[in-house]
Amino acid sequence: MESFNKTSLNTIIQAHKKQNGSLVSLLQDIQDTFGYLPREALQHVNTVLDIPLSKLFSIATFYNAFNLEPQGKNTLSVCLGTACHVKGGENLIAMMGRALGLDNSEGTSADGKFTIKKVRCLGCCSMAPVVKANDDIHGSMTQTKTANLLKKLKKSKR
Amino acid sequence: MNAKAIKNVQGLKKEGLVSLFPDKIKIIVGSASCGLAAGAGPVFEAIKTGVKEKRIKARVTRTGCIGLCHQEPLVDVIIPDKPRLTYGKVTPQAVKKILDALKKGKVPQGAFARIDTEEFLLEGTSRTYGTDSEDPQIAQIPGFDVLSFYQKQSRIALRNCGFIDPGNILEYMAKGGYTALAELLQSKSPQQVVSEIERSGLRGRGGAGFLTGRKWKMCRAAHADKKYLICNADEGDPGAYMDRSILEGDPHTVIEGMLIAGYAIGAAQGYIYVRDEYPLAIERLQKALKQARTHGLLGDDILKSGFSFDIIINRGAGAFVCGEETALIKSIEGDWGEPRQRPPYPAQRGLWGKPTVINNVETLATVPAVMHNGAKWFSALGTQHSKGTKVFSLVGKVNRIGLVEVPMGTSLRDIIYDIGGGIPDGRAFKAVQTGGPSGGCIPAELIDLPVDYEALSRAGSIMGSGGLIVMDDKTCMVDVAKYFLDFLENESCGKCTPCRVGVKRMRELLDAICSGSGIIEDLALLEKMALNIKDSALCGLGKTAPNPVLSTLKYFKDEYLAHILLKKCPAGVCKNLITYAIDPAVCTGCGACLKACPADAIKGEKKKAHKVLTKKCIKCGACQEVCPVGAVVT
Amino acid sequence: MVALKIDGIATSVPDGTTILTVAKKLGIWIPTLCHHDVLTPYGGCRLCVVEVTLDGATQIVSACTYAAADGIEVQTCTERIIGIRKFIVEMLLAEAPQAEVLQDLARDLGVTPPERFQPRNELCIACGQCIRACREIVEVSAIDFAHRGYERVAASPFFQRSEDCIACGTCVDICPTGAITKRDIPAGEKAVVADGINITGPARIIDNWKVGLALKQCEKCGEHFAPQFQLDHFSKRASLPDDFFNVCRQCRT
Repeated sequence: MESFNKTSLNTIIQAHKKQNGSLVSLLQDIQDTFGYLPREALQHVNTVLDIPLSKLFSIATFYNAFNLEPQGKNTLSVCLGTACHVKGGENLIAMMGRALGLDNSEGTSADGKFTIKKVRCLGCCSMAPVVKANDDIHGSMTQTKTANLLKKLKKSKR
Repeated sequence: MNAKAIKNVQGLKKEGLVSLFPDKIKIIVGSASCGLAAGAGPVFEAIKTGVKEKRIKARVTRTGCIGLCHQEPLVDVIIPDKPRLTYGKVTPQAVKKILDALKKGKVPQGAFARIDTEEFLLEGTSRTYGTDSEDPQIAQIPGFDVLSFYQKQSRIALRNCGFIDPGNILEYMAKGGYTALAELLQSKSPQQVVSEIERSGLRGRGGAGFLTGRKWKMCRAAHADKKYLICNADEGDPGAYMDRSILEGDPHTVIEGMLIAGYAIGAAQGYIYVRDEYPLAIERLQKALKQARTHGLLGDDILKSGFSFDIIINRGAGAFVCGEETALIKSIEGDWGEPRQRPPYPAQRGLWGKPTVINNVETLATVPAVMHNGAKWFSALGTQHSKGTKVFSLVGKVNRIGLVEVPMGTSLRDIIYDIGGGIPDGRAFKAVQTGGPSGGCIPAELIDLPVDYEALSRAGSIMGSGGLIVMDDKTCMVDVAKYFLDFLENESCGKCTPCRVGVKRMRELLDAICSGSGIIEDLALLEKMALNIKDSALCGLGKTAPNPVLSTLKYFKDEYLAHILLKKCPAGVCKNLITYAIDPAVCTGCGACLKACPADAIKGEKKKAHKVLTKKCIKCGACQEVCPVGAVVT
Repeated sequence: MVALKIDGIATSVPDGTTILTVAKKLGIWIPTLCHHDVLTPYGGCRLCVVEVTLDGATQIVSACTYAAADGIEVQTCTERIIGIRKFIVEMLLAEAPQAEVLQDLARDLGVTPPERFQPRNELCIACGQCIRACREIVEVSAIDFAHRGYERVAASPFFQRSEDCIACGTCVDICPTGAITKRDIPAGEKAVVADGINITGPARIIDNWKVGLALKQCEKCGEHFAPQFQLDHFSKRASLPDDFFNVCRQCRT
């Protein structure tokens, strides 16, 4: 039933203890390793570090960067910063939502291939509107280019 | 500090100069996030492999963003004895041509600008790349200094961005980096440093414009066993990216600024709180910190002066409110980013309860220049109460999108028209949004407004972190106001009632107006709510949240009225109030829209005017986007 | 000691005293919602805002968190302040129109429920008193805020059964709007704690945190007096005889 590897979690916790790092950075390290924050992982942190589970849940839901659910194989972040907004970023996210059958445009597709997210400004305003696909930023996007990007990612092995 | 340490700095500087002015070919690829978004990655790879395959004796390096974002990807070529040449919108195909020419010992065609001499702002000197302007091919390329994009600029915080390799501390030192630090460690007391910054009139570039020197003084005066310095790199204002650019293009200037600030206030530990959305900035910072440590510029007993200081990077986790200093402190402490009332100010009681100074990236990037060239030099630039220069990100509906740095007091007209080249497609300039979600929209009639803290505030906006989003007649101002409230509703921490509930309720009213169900009384209600939220919210985020509504109500009330009374969106943006149609006089019947339409809502025969079936239309705008002749209208 | 003026009355108070405390001492009424004397000041509801003037500059601050300082002049009842209080109550009324405390405040301040907004009809107004009480008084931290902004709400971890809650009911008692409910289930009676969680009495249920705990019977009088889990929790922390918690409070003396 364990959706995560307890050994690697313990390694993270120990390293964290040594550096006296903050709780936020601990959760970031956990998410970097597991792709999200598995509930069992938070429960384990609660046991080992004696941090109230309510506090862990609180921080995990306060910050946008944390996911409590597994994410799609590809993460597409559509920038909705001001420059992207005035240049039609909303049309792009709506288009992706339609293409992937997501109700309110955001979320993970049924096949688990894509997670679509809104992000408020990637700081690439000069290339607006911008879509970040996994680690790559694509500038001057159109609905056509976005559709092609989805097609390309669908075919990729990732 | 001993002579050996100083000599060491001098030696490293020399090495850096050789790297900046090489005796063999050097190819430099603009590789900040914006450049990478435009395709600098494949360009860099193409150059790397091409140079190897063709056996060209050349070094290939990276640099940050020079601000010419509209020309990205940018490639600079330095051929010994020739000016530094800049090529814009470079593709992997164009790379081949550049390399072919270099292989043949020729100057590659197609450069759009050249740099003859490199100014050393901190040294007050300059150095010439090459004087071979007899070459007719080179002589016809305009110099950077005559490009209208640069003519009115004055780059202090951005002095190295786009010139040096951010991954090479020696190039930073060659341009006078760490000299200010070395000098003041040797000859200035912390008190003298505080006074110098105070006299310079430098104000915080992150938003509120508090006097940096005063902040330092307050913290220096506070009694405590420990003090902290935090660099606020949680650049959250949508539309502003100068801090990212500085961190990606010149991380050492921020580190040096932090060292100077740490020395001045008596801190031994610094933190850089960087947005999670800026992975490249974090990567470059990490590398820079490591180099600084290696060269004895960070850590214990810096340059053998007895001063110790180190820096830890903290990654943000996606919360705009953490840009607010008390929330940022809570986030570093590991808690959720929830602001608290000031006073006490962080300079009195900050991180872990200790006196703490929080300065923004651009502020800290300016500090080494102020210390090196002196308060008098800095305060000679700018206006009476706003000294020096300010970096602006000029984005939106403007021709030359980019990052610009101008003296305070430069007019909006100079920035938007002279530097930015005006509005694209011959459209009309309507407004410019400044200051991010806390700011406001300044209308076309105030185009000659000199930009400084006071003037912007008088016009109902704020300086903020320096985003300038240009809007044309196709931008709906009610939609813009709604956009910002929606943003803030999502980013509010939810602690205080006015921000948590008030902003949401205001956004609902704007939603109603944009979708055609607004009533005239909504305008008075919006104004009343706005003023109460401004007065009563806990932190800066909430207090300034109503600004976008207040400023658009002030200058663009007619647009609100059109939405409410006529049920029309004059700019053609608000989906509920518009219908898409094809102008038969313009349509060429190419069929592009028909193909692009996801809802089967376009009909028409080839080469004949097409038609939108309004009932089927889902208003996604795909047709408008693909139409080659602009026949789709709203 | 610091000397200040509040509504024209000159007074001096020890360093660190909040304006709210000063006002209370002088009998000046400042309404509050998120404040409780035994909890850490929070400054969230903003109902207690006052005007503070120092060196000619006026600031609006929450009285519950602002420490009195030398030379300040405080105004608690200006037109601007009354306007803000009315606005806050209006906003909260749209959230929790059923909350008596808000209805009372609305009456006192002459506020009518805003017509333009769809009422949310929740009782929680995110004042956080329950959370602070659980952390600071009970020292259990079973609950905390979840989410942010308008979605911010006091919650048990994952919105599921809290493993830490001892069903002491402090949160229930301290909640100003009655948003948290507690039920004692008599012996033998069946009850639903939450979806899929059932319990048979004698038990205590805190609905909000999806907790149902079996009650212990007093060995003397036979009353079901407290959840066993709670007694275990306290006996672990207190150095008391093992049998201390076998009888109810009344029978202990």
